[in-house]
Amino acid sequence: MYIRIFTVGFFLLVLSCEPFVSDFEQEIMGADIYESKNISLVEPTSKPKVLTWNIRFGSKRLPWFGDSCGDDVIMKKKDVESNLLEIASAINEINPDIVLLQEVDIFSKRSGYTNQIQYLLDNTNMNYGCYASIWKADFVPTNGLGKINMGNAILSKYNLKEAERIGLALRTDQSDLVKYFYLRRNILKVKIDDLGLYAVNIHATAFATDSTKQIHIDKYLEVLSKISDGGYSFVTGGDLNSLPPGANKYDFCDFDGCDSERFHIFDEKGEETHKEASYFDNFTGELEILEPLYLRYASAIDVDVMNSPDHFTHAPSTSEERWGIKYDRKLDYLFTNGPGGWISDSARTHQELWRLSDHTPVSGILTLPED
Amino acid sequence: MRLKLHLIYILLLTGLFGGSVWTSQASAYLLPEKKWEVGLFQPFRYGFSEKINYSIHPILFFIMPNLSVKILHQNGKMFSSATRHGIYYPARLLKILQTGVQVGDKTASLIAPGFKIPHMLGFSSDYIFTKPYKTGALTLYVGVNLGLVFGDLDPRTSIDLPLVYHRLGVFYNKYGLDAGIDFSKNITDATSYSFDLDLKFLPGFSGSYSFEHKFLLHWQKSKKTRLSIGYKYVYGDFPYGKQSRVLPYFPLVESWVPMFDVQWISLGKIRKNK
Repeated sequence: MYIRIFTVGFFLLVLSCEPFVSDFEQEIMGADIYESKNISLVEPTSKPKVLTWNIRFGSKRLPWFGDSCGDDVIMKKKDVESNLLEIASAINEINPDIVLLQEVDIFSKRSGYTNQIQYLLDNTNMNYGCYASIWKADFVPTNGLGKINMGNAILSKYNLKEAERIGLALRTDQSDLVKYFYLRRNILKVKIDDLGLYAVNIHATAFATDSTKQIHIDKYLEVLSKISDGGYSFVTGGDLNSLPPGANKYDFCDFDGCDSERFHIFDEKGEETHKEASYFDNFTGELEILEPLYLRYASAIDVDVMNSPDHFTHAPSTSEERWGIKYDRKLDYLFTNGPGGWISDSARTHQELWRLSDHTPVSGILTLPED
Repeated sequence: MRLKLHLIYILLLTGLFGGSVWTSQASAYLLPEKKWEVGLFQPFRYGFSEKINYSIHPILFFIMPNLSVKILHQNGKMFSSATRHGIYYPARLLKILQTGVQVGDKTASLIAPGFKIPHMLGFSSDYIFTKPYKTGALTLYVGVNLGLVFGDLDPRTSIDLPLVYHRLGVFYNKYGLDAGIDFSKNITDATSYSFDLDLKFLPGFSGSYSFEHKFLLHWQKSKKTRLSIGYKYVYGDFPYGKQSRVLPYFPLVESWVPMFDVQWISLGKIRKNK
């Protein structure tokens, strides 16, 4: 009798060992694979269209407490689904072959426990998807946020293989308690055999005030170099949370700061204060942090126009309401090492979709070798 | 200091929802008249008469007024039966959990701000049936729970954690059902064990059921003091899917730790069947 009781007890313990907060200890892990419930086979193309979009967990321009001057925390499921439907319609209209998404929620309380990757697969002409979580916890107590699972996703019309979650370094400018509940950023890499290339998606740190961003970009370059050195092509992009080299403005504290916030004053250490994620000169070299990417690889948005307002992709969600600013900086990028590069003039920054997120999507058409 | 207080609230909430440890609480047996018992995480119980026991969570009472009464219906050699009726007012506690505590420049809370927490009253009624054995007892119970809400309660205020979700769910779903089995057995004169299995069911609710299982080893340290150690296991359906967890679980160290409790009683023995 006692043996039975202890055996059952032991199995219960083993079955319940899911961590409260996932720390993704291994640097490289397999990513989750998804399929649309309506798969429609597509012939491989030599001119695939690629799109990158930070969809902000389907919250559109909600004044969310975490990244804007707002107080909202948790959305209603019907509102999230309605927002996702608009995002799905936009994707269908652009009609990409590969979509790199950032800030995709899966069963998070703040977004009505929607499975956003499955929803987008089922409501777009994309067939396959993979997902790597950035923030996964049973309960995040910040403002009663609750259960969270947010991450990077890649959607594709073509089958996906070897999906990998490559972990990025954690911030060093946080207390242990905050760090425990905080994001674990990553690079999502997957092979698309039908197109003969890899797709690589990144969402680099936004809020770090230390040199974590440099570490993220260095790791990103390392991953891309390895693919290139292996003789493969890639298309890559995402929300790099960095400005293009030579950007005219790198301090957005005054516009991003909320009414109760004051910046550009000196703290007890005698250092000037800045708003996290709104200041892009935190360490030496941050202003040119993306230069190696531009030097090594082909950018979808041409170097000549990368700092043009026509290609700005982001402003905090409440900036339009407060200042009439829809977008005032470029944070989202597409690159390739493919020999054919991008089809000239194919790249677009879809600023007309500004209402659907606090980032606008960027797209471009690759030229791949024809077999 | 407020953080500590907040943690105590959460601990008490978990303790309250964790179910009873002392056999007499789960069974149809009553405390003898004018005798009492209380535990670190257990309610204070008082034998008002041979047929009526009252119980309240004394510390929690000030933030969540609660009262439960157990009425003995039959007390025989073959079996005993009783009913247990409870009432509690959780709104004040929920408001405290919504207000949360300041940690650096952030607020830690269990409920998002901005939602109104209306007045609420929870009622529960259980029918309990206990059959004694030579060295232990088997208890079965079934019950119904009602949640009265005086105003609009936004579903987004739910606390979607094991133990808590399916208990507070009664206020969103208006009603719920529960049933369970509880078994206790003496090992030696001073040691015993108990285990139980409880089902909570909220028909039509998103995340409609949970199974809870508890196993405890008890040591009767003296006539008046008893120590218990064990675990609680929860498997349930939640709005995001199924989840299981062994409790108590300490998030920061990502580890289960044994459930521990101390109980005191004003008399060495509890009343058993005639």
